[in-house]
Amino acid sequence: MTEIKQKPVVLAVDDTPENLDVVKGILARDYTVKVAINGQMALKIVEKAPPDLILLDIMMPGMSGYEVCEQLKANPATRDIPVIFLTAMEQTTEETKGFELGAADYITKPVNPPILEARVMTHLALKQSMDELQAAYGIIKQQKDRMQEELNVGHTIQMSMLPQAFPAFPDRTEFDLHALLTPAREVGGDFYDFFLLDEDRICLVVGDVSGKGVPAALFMAVSQTMIKTAAKGDTSPASIVTRVNDALSADNPTSMFVTLFLAILDFRSGCFSYCNAGHNPPYIVHADGGLTCLNQRHGVVMGAMEGLAYGESEGKLQEGDALFLFTDGVTEAMDTEGQLYDETRLEQLLERLDRSGAEQLTGAVLESVEGFAQGAEQSDDITILAYYARQSSESGARDTLDLTIDADLAQIAEVLEKVQAFADRVELPVGTGQKMGMILDELLSNSISYGFEDPSGHEIDVHIHADARRLTLKVSDEGIPFNPFTLRRPDTNLGVDERPIGGLGVMLVKEMTDSQGYERLSGHNVITLTIELNQNN
Amino acid sequence: MKIDISQSGDVHVLAFEGNLDTTTSPEAERQINELIDGGASNLLVNFDQLNFIASSGLRVLLATAKKLGPAAGTMRICGLNATVQEVFDISGFGTILNVSKTQEDALAEF
Repeated sequence: MTEIKQKPVVLAVDDTPENLDVVKGILARDYTVKVAINGQMALKIVEKAPPDLILLDIMMPGMSGYEVCEQLKANPATRDIPVIFLTAMEQTTEETKGFELGAADYITKPVNPPILEARVMTHLALKQSMDELQAAYGIIKQQKDRMQEELNVGHTIQMSMLPQAFPAFPDRTEFDLHALLTPAREVGGDFYDFFLLDEDRICLVVGDVSGKGVPAALFMAVSQTMIKTAAKGDTSPASIVTRVNDALSADNPTSMFVTLFLAILDFRSGCFSYCNAGHNPPYIVHADGGLTCLNQRHGVVMGAMEGLAYGESEGKLQEGDALFLFTDGVTEAMDTEGQLYDETRLEQLLERLDRSGAEQLTGAVLESVEGFAQGAEQSDDITILAYYARQSSESGARDTLDLTIDADLAQIAEVLEKVQAFADRVELPVGTGQKMGMILDELLSNSISYGFEDPSGHEIDVHIHADARRLTLKVSDEGIPFNPFTLRRPDTNLGVDERPIGGLGVMLVKEMTDSQGYERLSGHNVITLTIELNQNN
Repeated sequence: MKIDISQSGDVHVLAFEGNLDTTTSPEAERQINELIDGGASNLLVNFDQLNFIASSGLRVLLATAKKLGPAAGTMRICGLNATVQEVFDISGFGTILNVSKTQEDALAEF
């Protein structure tokens, strides 16, 4: 390092003392000049206190200037000291040799004082600039290392948000599930998720946030958390996506967005409903190798606009079918010539893949994509999720009844008839069928009588689902927001004369079911009730 | 819903069939009121063939019990299936109304 206040130190090496005197005479005013009369001595001085610049004679007895230079350049502690050769020789081949050894410059003897001064000054200035650059680089490298370290931590945190332990549900014989995510950078905007909603249903999610890097990763974390929260107690993909879109869009100053595919799958029956918000359509890989593209779309990307109502569609997996979800990092993977992997290649691969398990499927697709890219830089995150339906419905009664009626008391009788027929068909216990009728009568009459300022033109949806263990009733109306289960329990200890007429229905519903849920979803009152069937009722 | 009305001595027996719910309760109430207005004071409500009763049905029973009053007459109910019994238990109607197991038991109580 060049000292700012002290004079720079120049070491002159020459076996002729007169030459050293000449150099000294020229430089002594501006520099501290040290001298050495041979190579060994020069190296010793350098080792003791490295000078800022070395003027080195080539032709010296014993160790030549070249050898001295070679040794200086071989040592990291001294290799950056500029060396200027002083020589009487003028052959260019010799000069070349000096430069090859790392010399900074050449000065021919006899020395011309202004030239010597100018060269020394120039090389010291160059050296100083180099030192400053290196110091700056050191700081940048340190900062870069710290950022890299933070990105690595970010990567670990992001990956830990994704379920990664497989098999994810070792106790489940009904399905086999595997997912993987390969980010293009340390952190990215892709994500997947899956979680059980209840004993029968699993929610599968794949999403892709616009952009890459830290902003995408943060938006991804928010989206994933919101989806998971929204899916609690809501079994409608459309409703979940609608609500999360509103939440994401409401406070989105950076205008980021996320494409999403969300499916809720009853793994006992294989039936599923799904909502696609601007995401690339997934596939059903059938047991026989055929493919179905789930190309229904239910709205634009999430986060773009508030107040959108998303739709949903239904599908069904047969035993041995797989649901294959992915992000466009798969189909838009590029080879070194810029060609896309594309849907056709993916479809051809899916049709002939090993169907022994979900992990084999995801692994084979990733391997194919990586093989295609052949080391071309990965431009986008790659996410793949495969769900294999292992066993279709278990033995025993399982069925679903969906009804939509006008909000009109006159329609209730017809609902009850259909519900009775459903109970008979599914062979529900007689008492359960009776309860179900009673409960629906209470809910529907309440909703129609009190839920609307004017019920005409409104509809009410009834969804009944029975499996071997549980009956689930769901009634959804677009009436005034009202949670009946917050009503105070009427006093049932009053005698005939004291008893007010009415007010009992909700209590009966509450007491005769095993669970009661109320939610206001997408402008609807949604009441969900369950009755366990494992007792003798 | 169907109500089969017969007489056993001075007791009018109303045998219900089907559901006593939002749709059917108004008609049940009309028929019961017709009987009371016609002078019937002892009513036996037989639920042997009743599938279920909803709160609107309970409301009719409560209104009838009030109408008959302590002095004006008596209403007895019999033949509750498990579901109807549960509704009576939860609502407390099992304790405020006169409930018998069978029609014979009920008739003997008048």
